[in-house]
Amino acid sequence: MSTLTIEHVARIEGHGTITVDVEDGRVKDIHMDIIEPARYFESMVVGRRFDEAPLITSRICGICSPNHMLTSIKALEVALGVEVSERTQIMRKLLVYGSYLQNHATHLYLLAAPDYVGLPSVFPLAETHPDVVERALRVKKLGNDLTTLIGGRPVHPITAVLGGFTSEPEPGRLVAFRDALLAASQDAAATVDLFGSFDEYEFETAGEMLALVDDDDYAIYDGQTGALDAGWRRPVSEYRSFIEERVVGHSNAKHSTVGGRTFMVGALPRINLSRATLGATAADALNRVGLSIPSRNPFMNNLCQAVELVDAAARCAQYIETLLDMGGSTTPVEFKIAAGSGSAATEAPRGTLYHGYSVDDDGIVIAGDVITPTAQNLANLDADMRAFAPSVVDLPRDEFVIAVERLVRAYDPCLSCSVH
Amino acid sequence: MPPRVVVVGLASDFGCQVQMTNIEDQLLDVLGRIELSYWQLASSGHMPEEYDVAIVEGAVTTGEHVALLERIRATASAVIAIGACAVTGGIPALATSGSLDDHYACVYGEGDVEVACGRIAPMPITSVIDVEYRVPGCPIDMDEFTQVLSRALQGLSDCIPREPMCAICKTLENICFYERGEVCLGLITRTGCNARCITLGRPCTGCRGLAEDANLESAILLLAERGVSREDLMTRARLYNTLEEAFTR
Repeated sequence: MSTLTIEHVARIEGHGTITVDVEDGRVKDIHMDIIEPARYFESMVVGRRFDEAPLITSRICGICSPNHMLTSIKALEVALGVEVSERTQIMRKLLVYGSYLQNHATHLYLLAAPDYVGLPSVFPLAETHPDVVERALRVKKLGNDLTTLIGGRPVHPITAVLGGFTSEPEPGRLVAFRDALLAASQDAAATVDLFGSFDEYEFETAGEMLALVDDDDYAIYDGQTGALDAGWRRPVSEYRSFIEERVVGHSNAKHSTVGGRTFMVGALPRINLSRATLGATAADALNRVGLSIPSRNPFMNNLCQAVELVDAAARCAQYIETLLDMGGSTTPVEFKIAAGSGSAATEAPRGTLYHGYSVDDDGIVIAGDVITPTAQNLANLDADMRAFAPSVVDLPRDEFVIAVERLVRAYDPCLSCSVH
Repeated sequence: MPPRVVVVGLASDFGCQVQMTNIEDQLLDVLGRIELSYWQLASSGHMPEEYDVAIVEGAVTTGEHVALLERIRATASAVIAIGACAVTGGIPALATSGSLDDHYACVYGEGDVEVACGRIAPMPITSVIDVEYRVPGCPIDMDEFTQVLSRALQGLSDCIPREPMCAICKTLENICFYERGEVCLGLITRTGCNARCITLGRPCTGCRGLAEDANLESAILLLAERGVSREDLMTRARLYNTLEEAFTR
C-alpha cells in the first residue's frame, strides 16, 4: 500500500493536509487533516463582558468577520431582549453582502480559477489575461468598499454594535455606491459566464444540504434552517438539537452530522433551497448557464457563488435605494443588562454560521458556542473525497492531486474558522 | 535581483493577510518591486530555502511554530511581525488567562480523544525571535503596513509610533468619550491607526498595544475619578494584551 500526502493544500484559508492510501491502484482511504492548532474561542469569551464577545469571536475569521460579528451581536440581542430597527437590519444585510462580494471574488478568481487553466496561482494570469484579473480585483474591491462604507474598514468592521450602528455613511456616499453596484452587474454576469464555460466533473454528493430559508427573502441575515432532502424547517434557536458535533482524532476541527447524515452548507445549498427568492437578474444568469436546480454536484458551488454575485449586486443597490428613501435611525437602542441566553444564525459566504451565548446578571459571558460553516462541511467533504477519488485515481499523480484539491476548494473551506 | 519576500501565517484569523490582498490598487505595483517567493494563502508551492524578507502573521501556539520561526530568523535578513497576534499575542493570548487544559476541555470535552498538533500557551512571535519591524493592530492598518514594507525593502529602521492615541485623536477633533462618560483606551494605546474606531463613534479597545509614552499611572487615577476601578481598566486593556506585564499588576 502506498500513501500519498498533499501537505498544506494551497489556495484555501488555513492549513490542511490530505492523506490518500492507495492499494493495487485502488483508493483505500482518503481524508483531510486540519493541522490548524486549536484556538479556544468558545472558552476565551467566558468571563469577558458581553459587548466584547463580538470583538473576540469576529477574530475567528478575517474573511467573514462581518458574519461572525453580526451573528454574535444577534445572539446577544436575543439573550438581552434587544430589538433593532428595520434600518439597522438593512445596514446589517449590506455588511453581510460586503463579505459575499469580497469572499466570492477572492475564492472564485484568486483561489479556484487557476485550477481551470492549469496555473499554480492567479499571478501569471495578470500577464496572460489582464482583463480577467482586473475584473476580479474590481469585484473584490467592491465588496471591501461596501464593508468599509457600512462598517468602517474591510476586515473587522467597527460600527456594528448591539442595538444598531455607531456611525452611518453620508447619503452622498450611499448614492455613489449604488451607482458603483449597478455598474458592477456586468462584472458579476461575466463571472457567471466564465465559470459556466469551465468543464466541471460530473459528481454527486450523498450528503444532506442545509441553509437558512425565508419565504420572502433570499435568507442571508435571518430565517429558519431548512433541509433539502428531509424537507423540514427548524428555528435556528434549536440548532444544538438538529446538528450533532463530535471530536475526531485526526483534526482540531469537530465534525458535524444532521439526522445521522453528513451535510453540506454554502452557495449550492442556498440556491437549492432559495432559488424562488433569487432576484430576476440572478435567475436569468442561472438559466443562461443551464445549471439545473436542485443540483447535488459540490463542484457547482463555484458557479452558485458566481450567481450570488449577480444577486448581491442587484439586491444591495435596492437596499441602498431603500435606505435613502425610508428614514429611521440606526442609533443603538437602549437596553437593560440581565441574565439570559440566546442564539442566532446568518449565512456567511461559505454557509450557515451559528453562535450562542449565556450571560449573567452583570452581563459577563458564562458560556459561548460557535459552529462555523467549514466545521459543518468537513465530514461531508471527507465522504465526498472517498466517493470521488476512485474516479480520478488512474490520472497521473499531479493531475490526481489537482482533481482532489479542486473538490476541496469547491467547498471554499476556511480551516482557521473550523478550529475556532 | 528584487528582494525575495515570503508571507507566513501562524495561529490567526488570516485577517491581516486578507488586508494585504485588499490593497488592490497597490498590489500589482508592489508585486512589481519584489519577488513574492511564497504566500500559501495565494499560491501553490513550497516555502523556499532562501529569501530576504519574511512577513509573519499570527500567534505562536505550537512547537512547530517555534521551529518554523527559528528557521525564518536564520534565513531572513528582515522579519516583519504583522498584527496584534504576532506583536502582542492579541486575541489568541486570551487563552493564557487560566489553564490551557481547562480551555481545551471547555471546547473539546474531557474525553480521551487526542486532537492534532502539540499545543503550547499562545504568545507573540516577538517572544520567540527578535524582529526588525512590527505592524501592530487588529487588523493591521494598510497605510502603516505599506509604509513599513517600503522601509524594510529599503533597509530603513523601524518607525513604530510610541505616543498614545489621544495625541492624534485630539487633532482629528473627535469628541472625547470621557466627555460622554464612556471608557476609551486611547489614553494608553499606541497611535498609528488615525484613531479610526473613535472617529466612527466607537471607543478604543487597545488592539495596538500599550504605548511606550503612555502614562499608565495617571490614566488609572483619571479613571478612578470617573468611578472606573483599576481592576476594570486592566481587564479591558487585557482584551488584546493579556501578556502585557503592565496590565497584570
